[in-house]
Amino acid sequence: MRLFEASHVFKHDWATVSLANWRKYPNDKTPHVRHVEILNQEVDETTGVLRTERLIMVRQNVPALVRKIFGGDTSYVLEYSEVDPAKQTLVMQSQNMTFSNLLSVGEHIVYKPDPENPAHTIFTQSAQLKASTALYRFANKIEDMCWNRFQDNAHFGKLGLEQVVSVILAERQAMMVSQVSE
Amino acid sequence: MDSLGAECTPLKHKYDACFTKWYSEKFINGERSNDCAAVFKEYQACIRKVLVDRGLTKMIDDARPTIGSVFAASADDRHADADASAKK
Repeated sequence: MRLFEASHVFKHDWATVSLANWRKYPNDKTPHVRHVEILNQEVDETTGVLRTERLIMVRQNVPALVRKIFGGDTSYVLEYSEVDPAKQTLVMQSQNMTFSNLLSVGEHIVYKPDPENPAHTIFTQSAQLKASTALYRFANKIEDMCWNRFQDNAHFGKLGLEQVVSVILAERQAMMVSQVSE
Repeated sequence: MDSLGAECTPLKHKYDACFTKWYSEKFINGERSNDCAAVFKEYQACIRKVLVDRGLTKMIDDARPTIGSVFAASADDRHADADASAKK
């Protein structure tokens, strides 16, 4: 079992970053994320919490050996999230469904305002990578490869989110300009 | 971003646009309205059919507890899955 942990401070407020999270795909930094479908979505009438379930289809370029072991390069991930607008938290939990008998990848993500600077947003990510013992001597190698790929994807994911934030900020700017000129 | 099922893409785009507007203008400010419910229902019906056709619904149902999802399989999906496997 290997654990991947990372955190990052986005220099934008939580409302903007959490919106960018929903608009994150597609972006040109994460071409491996091919489809994102919203399967279920509702607001809890009592608490005001937004609950969402998404299906994510990922296609990774992987070495031929890995493709052979796993029988393909396309995988499906299920993600459940809750957004509490009062507490300003966005919490997401996801799990791969394809090949999960060989390699299980569970990921937990939180976006919340930085307590030291409420105009910034703290992103924390942790993932548990667990290869099946059925892979014998390949298990450690597969976990290592997956961990490295996870690290790369996490890096490009951050860049992708920043890109989407820039688009949102540019849209707001354009809207303000058009309102002023009206 | 296109939908997994090409036939659902127009509905998905319509829903994405509605959701983005609602999320940034209302939800984030504490409003609990449900502006996009009608278009979501249409999009959801479309994508559910795609999931059944591709045999993905059981896999999704099985994964729900591991991520703490509060959503449950709809009775329609279970029947559709049974129908699909009966045909095979």
